[in-house]
Amino acid sequence: MRANAAMKSLSNIRVKICLLFLLGVVVIGVLAPFLAPYHPEKPFYDAILQPPSLKHWLGTDAIGRDVLSRLIHGVRVTLSVSALAVLITFIVGTLAGLASAYVGGVLDNVLMRVMDVFLALPSIMLALAIVAILGPGMTNAMIAVGISSIPGFARLVRGAALSIKASGFVEASRSIGSSPGWIVRRHYLPNIGGVLLVYTMLFVGIAILETAALSFIGLGAQPPTPEWGTMLSEGKKYIYDSWWLATFPGLAITVLVFAVNYLSDSLQSVFDPKSAS
Amino acid sequence: MISFVLNRFVSGCIVILGLTVLSFLLVHLVPGDPVQVMLGIHATPERMEELRSQLGLDKPLWTQYVRYLSDLLHGDLGTSIKTGRPVLVEIADRFPETAKLAVSALVIAIVIGILTGTLAARFKGSFIDALFTGFATLGVSIPSFWLGILLVMLFSVTLKWFPIANGTGFRDMILPALTLGVVASTLISRLTRNGMVDALSNDYIRTARAKGLEERTILFRHALRNVLIPVVTVIGLQLASLIGGTVIIEQVFNWPGLGTMAIGSILSRDFPLIQGTILFMGVVYVVINTIVDILYHAIDPRVEFGAKVAS
Repeated sequence: MRANAAMKSLSNIRVKICLLFLLGVVVIGVLAPFLAPYHPEKPFYDAILQPPSLKHWLGTDAIGRDVLSRLIHGVRVTLSVSALAVLITFIVGTLAGLASAYVGGVLDNVLMRVMDVFLALPSIMLALAIVAILGPGMTNAMIAVGISSIPGFARLVRGAALSIKASGFVEASRSIGSSPGWIVRRHYLPNIGGVLLVYTMLFVGIAILETAALSFIGLGAQPPTPEWGTMLSEGKKYIYDSWWLATFPGLAITVLVFAVNYLSDSLQSVFDPKSAS
Repeated sequence: MISFVLNRFVSGCIVILGLTVLSFLLVHLVPGDPVQVMLGIHATPERMEELRSQLGLDKPLWTQYVRYLSDLLHGDLGTSIKTGRPVLVEIADRFPETAKLAVSALVIAIVIGILTGTLAARFKGSFIDALFTGFATLGVSIPSFWLGILLVMLFSVTLKWFPIANGTGFRDMILPALTLGVVASTLISRLTRNGMVDALSNDYIRTARAKGLEERTILFRHALRNVLIPVVTVIGLQLASLIGGTVIIEQVFNWPGLGTMAIGSILSRDFPLIQGTILFMGVVYVVINTIVDILYHAIDPRVEFGAKVAS
């Protein structure tokens, strides 16, 4: 059944297009030093604030750096920071959600009340609170974004795991003496795997937006790192006469998040058709 | 109903108590000496001792928390290290600006969301439906701060319809409110569309059409009324999240609200101000959510009935 779902999702044309696009983005990130026409920090003093041209396809910034090269190198930064942030969310959120659903009782109550407190803050505020503790910087912003998404992720995992707990086969497995680890590995994880994938993709989109937002307000990646949020923040100062500086980094974020969200939506219609409808 | 209200009130209070623990611990979770972090490396030992004693950091943790709670109950959120003014006064100065922006954005979100959602449902499967549904999906993906910059480039720089934001007047507020409103409208639009598609397939709509009623009356009087309950709930929740959403947008438009203050306080490591702002925003969020939850139960008797049947 799971293999069927995986095949079904792969044969879905929307999923195929999104996957191909995202694969292309990953390849660009990996091959950035070979694909970028120039070094992302190399200034061209004779080409300051130049509009898009044949020499600099997306123009140059205030110190003459090539915008396209910075965007291409920015793919690396954005993907790695968001992926690590989501990894933090995924590991802690899945553990907390599964433990809460499986053990139940006091542990479930305590964990969920703690999550309620964190969910009482808009996630960007929670991320700001964590940056306030750790101090501004790219690594700290990544940790902040990862931690701030844990409560929402854990709640979703708990919900999915509870529906498995209520099914007869878990009860049957427990009654024949299966160990908790075995039940989680063999029953919970395989059955909520698809939904976990959907949630993870959803949180990748959120992580990209939040890390860019933190960098934009000066609490994430710091100049001269070629990060899209930082580039947007720098470009904001030149909106009067250099439209390209604030346009292309924002467009890159939007297109990437759109593809991730679209993939998440398409996967949801395969793995979780009830809530997708 | 009364027991439900009491129940929500008590849970709200517990969450707020949890928030006080969170905001209290902020300063204690800072790696290294928080006083050194706040004052910088050039601070004199005397000034450090003074601040340590002023913040009560030289006392046991438990005593500090009890004192923190007691101060909070007396309306004392501490004193800003940077300005020397009470945190509550700083918040009271800034909150009206943030609230003004959030409420205006909500009005815009409701108008755009309900209108586009209704039209998409009415012309289901057509180009209009695809356009508005696509717009709703795009709205979730677009960074609000980029949308803000695009609107400034279009309306302020190119068309010169609005001033480049630097004040808090009505004209200064239109672009930031529009930015936040457009992003918030996407969820309302989606929900209205889905609800309206269901509602429009009902028998009473066919009856209304058979009676020869005007399409506008059918849409807004008959169908929309039946999808308003979930939409109203989301609208309430959107207000709460808009207060969080203003944090970033205030930066784009130099809007002197709570968000700008929060970010400034983080950069200058002004912990009493950070703690106060985060606690305040959390409390506003909890209060709005609790009120929405109670209103939802009050306006939709089926929820109460469902709860009774379930119990």
